[in-house]
Amino acid sequence: MSGDAVPPAVDPEGKDLHRMVVDARGSWCPGPLMELVRVIKEEPVGTEFELLSSDEGSRKDVPMWLTKAGHELIKVENESGFDRYVIRKSHE
Amino acid sequence: MADDAAPPNEQMAIVLTEDAADKLLPFATLVSGAIAMGMRVDVFASYWGLVAFKARAGPPPASVSPGHGEGGTALEEALRRKNAPNWKAILEMAKSLGELHIYACSQSMEILGLTKADLDPLVESVTGVATFIDRTRSASVSYFI
Repeated sequence: MSGDAVPPAVDPEGKDLHRMVVDARGSWCPGPLMELVRVIKEEPVGTEFELLSSDEGSRKDVPMWLTKAGHELIKVENESGFDRYVIRKSHE
Repeated sequence: MADDAAPPNEQMAIVLTEDAADKLLPFATLVSGAIAMGMRVDVFASYWGLVAFKARAGPPPASVSPGHGEGGTALEEALRRKNAPNWKAILEMAKSLGELHIYACSQSMEILGLTKADLDPLVESVTGVATFIDRTRSASVSYFI
């Protein structure tokens, strides 16, 4: 990286524009995974995604797919009735 | 990317011969899972499997296969109540994300008196069984549904 100051992309609310919420709650297996595959295909490298899924199958499918596809699973948070997967697209 | 998840030549072959909701939903689920895993999927739609691909307006019917008595009725109700996904919409999404080919069995077309124009655009072409086998002879996974 050069030392040139590149302002981070932020929206008026101060949120990082390169973070995207993918709300797949209520979607049946493998719907949440398919939503993830779609957004990872469409968005640029470095984008972080918050995938929300109420599908129990996602708990194994999503980490397995990320390992195979080579993208980063930053954390998983268990909420009431759904899980939040924070993911970063690592490469094209 | 879906393509990153598997070596490029991994392929799933499916022969579909049923048109009931309790066959079509698992079928579409398998297809989309395979596409997510970066596999190419080739489908040969035959007999009732071809009837399922007849172009029609509105959502596909949610009737399940016969022989399940009260269980079948309960499943139909559950599919409606839980707002089951539309199996064709699942296939359309899968096709937009990877390599999905759906062929119509030429023998079934002849017997059912159908032409390509009678079928959903998801169906790519009408082929004989030998062509389907030639395209899937190296498939690593195959199913008959």
